[in-house]
Amino acid sequence: MFQDSTDWITLLGANDRRGGTAASASRSPGELIWKQALTDGIRSSPVLHEGVVFVTCRDGCLYAFDSRTGKERWHVQTAAASDSTPSISGPLVLFGNDAGVLYAVERSSGAIRWQLEAGGSIWTSPIVRNGVVFFGSTDGVFRAVDLAGGKIRWTHETDGQICSTAYAAERLVYFGSSDGNIYALDPMSGKSSWRFRAGDSVVASPAVIDGLVLAGSEDYWFYALDAASGAVRWKFETGLGIYSSPAVAGGRVYFGGKDGYVYALALADGKEIWKSRSFRTLTAPPVAGDSVVCIQTFYGGTQAFEAATGKELWRANLGGSLQSTPILADDAVYLATYPGVVYALR
Amino acid sequence: MNRRTFIYNAALGTLNLGLIYGHRGVPIRQPDSALKSLKIDVQAPETELSRLGMPGLFPGRVVEAHHPGSLVDGRVSPSAMQAMVDAGMKALTGDGNARDAWARLFGATDVVALKVNPSGVPGTVTSIPLVREVVRSLTSVGVPTKNIIVYDRNSNQLEVNGYHALVPPGVRVVGLDQRWSVRGESRPGYDPLVFCEMDCFGERETRSYLASIVVREATKIINLPCLKEHNASGVTGCLKNLAYGSFNNVARTHAGTKTYTDPVIAVMCTSSPLRSKSVLHIMDGIRAVYHSGPFAWNPDFVWDAKTLLFGTDPVAMDRIELEIVEQKRREVGVPSLWDRNPAYLGTNAEMQRTAFKNQFYREPGHIKTAAALGLGKWELSDIDHRKLQL
Repeated sequence: MFQDSTDWITLLGANDRRGGTAASASRSPGELIWKQALTDGIRSSPVLHEGVVFVTCRDGCLYAFDSRTGKERWHVQTAAASDSTPSISGPLVLFGNDAGVLYAVERSSGAIRWQLEAGGSIWTSPIVRNGVVFFGSTDGVFRAVDLAGGKIRWTHETDGQICSTAYAAERLVYFGSSDGNIYALDPMSGKSSWRFRAGDSVVASPAVIDGLVLAGSEDYWFYALDAASGAVRWKFETGLGIYSSPAVAGGRVYFGGKDGYVYALALADGKEIWKSRSFRTLTAPPVAGDSVVCIQTFYGGTQAFEAATGKELWRANLGGSLQSTPILADDAVYLATYPGVVYALR
Repeated sequence: MNRRTFIYNAALGTLNLGLIYGHRGVPIRQPDSALKSLKIDVQAPETELSRLGMPGLFPGRVVEAHHPGSLVDGRVSPSAMQAMVDAGMKALTGDGNARDAWARLFGATDVVALKVNPSGVPGTVTSIPLVREVVRSLTSVGVPTKNIIVYDRNSNQLEVNGYHALVPPGVRVVGLDQRWSVRGESRPGYDPLVFCEMDCFGERETRSYLASIVVREATKIINLPCLKEHNASGVTGCLKNLAYGSFNNVARTHAGTKTYTDPVIAVMCTSSPLRSKSVLHIMDGIRAVYHSGPFAWNPDFVWDAKTLLFGTDPVAMDRIELEIVEQKRREVGVPSLWDRNPAYLGTNAEMQRTAFKNQFYREPGHIKTAAALGLGKWELSDIDHRKLQL
């Protein structure tokens, strides 16, 4: 009997954005376990916890599906489309919608525990650390909210839309804004520790590892910043803007470019290890492990590359994706596609 | 609602216009006996034509602004874009400063829809710096960002380009293929009461509906097309961007090697809300396309023209665009957009590889047809073409 024990609780698996892949991901999925066709498109990524796949949809719902059978356990309807990747924290699932409402619902039933109105659409995934929920919205405001009751602790305004999911570290919380800055704020007070001015908008969600904040910009550059000071440690130029959030594994950082390439750079110095041609343009984040890098594309389905060389291992033409990342679990691959179909494959 | 009928006679190359224009035959292109007659019914609200509507305040005037610094290391320069837009608007209107030029057309109570062209992902689309500059100019005359809407038919193309995330806060980005909301009320992308109805090639759905944003919410439209060849209509430009990006179900006008883009594009642009509300056109030719448009997936057919065109007359602008693309095609030694030699017909894949193959007999005659319908000036002798070198 198929049984998945993987936990994949937020964007790119966990707050550290390393993704992580099982050995099974290196071979092409050959069998459909189940699929669910929803009533509208999906922009967000699915998450997985204790045998349940959670996914938001532009029909305004958060769905919970049994990961073995695909059978719906429950769904919760909101008043507007949802483009926000759900995030699991203990007994709660958090997500936002385009009307600017952040929801905390019971993981077991979908019952709404609390909700909070922001001033703009919530396209980001809420990130939880130390009992605080961090998220930005398209009105340019970044918020910190009590996980327990949804009370606002502090806000921080930027001059652009925030579509970049935050990275919450112990001492600072990091995110990008379309005003061209990467921000580092004190998680307790919301006060700015530093900000780095890129040449254009930062839509990608940063990853943080080994004292580096990693994110690409619409200015065509990928940046590695000192996590404590914001100083540029290294940067790498691509052929077009970067929308795709990075994934980090095995001393390498991976991301897709609007120029249609998947890039693998050395984490230490930003040197290019390989770049591989994908389909026309890439906007979704890749998922990376020690042996394989996997990315969904809008024009060409899902592709997997050998992590060491960039050689294409397999592709699955199951419908495109703009921002969704696959879940590469022990025994299955879970995909959500822009046309609104959720797949479980092995 | 008003209903008008247009009868296009392919054998005679004439468009007979019912009701409003009477039954005059207007010679518009070379006869093509392979195409049948086409009857087009247009149902649209009966409104008086605005003096700002096409051809607008400056019939026949086209400003072509060229800036060598508009592309820096392959990136569109925001500062050059601002200089080009300011200079272009001043030259178009004759005003001494850019704010006065914008204030002629827009005010604080307007709801302004920006019709972008996102179909050349990733390189040949209406550039984000141009959209941002137009938003900045509108806000300078008091239009609040919440009253500015970026729209196109295809949500996915808008999203792949990143318009949603990259425009200033408050500006709405709407794909007409999805529902959208106004003050909490959810609306469909298209208005079921406003449409063009025709049977081109025996298709099942014979209606093309107009965007509800155009019909119901926008008070003005700024058209932001790209300077591109188009494999069916010859060029994309103002008229096609407006018509085929505001009405749905339009791909059905091409089949095999034939296309009815002429006269359908022109007829759609005469529908009263679209015509009256489209008051300004700025064509993005920073990167231009001379073959395999509108998608232009082969970068060999893209050149750095570093140009913007400005006008209120979409016919005159498309005519100048046609001349620019024809000039480029002559330079690189490939057939004219008007060429009808069947030897140059080919598959989509062949079209992507070589500029000597195309999927359709191109029909740029829609521009002249639009002139015949009163949308602007076609003859070069009637066009006031002003060139700016920045």
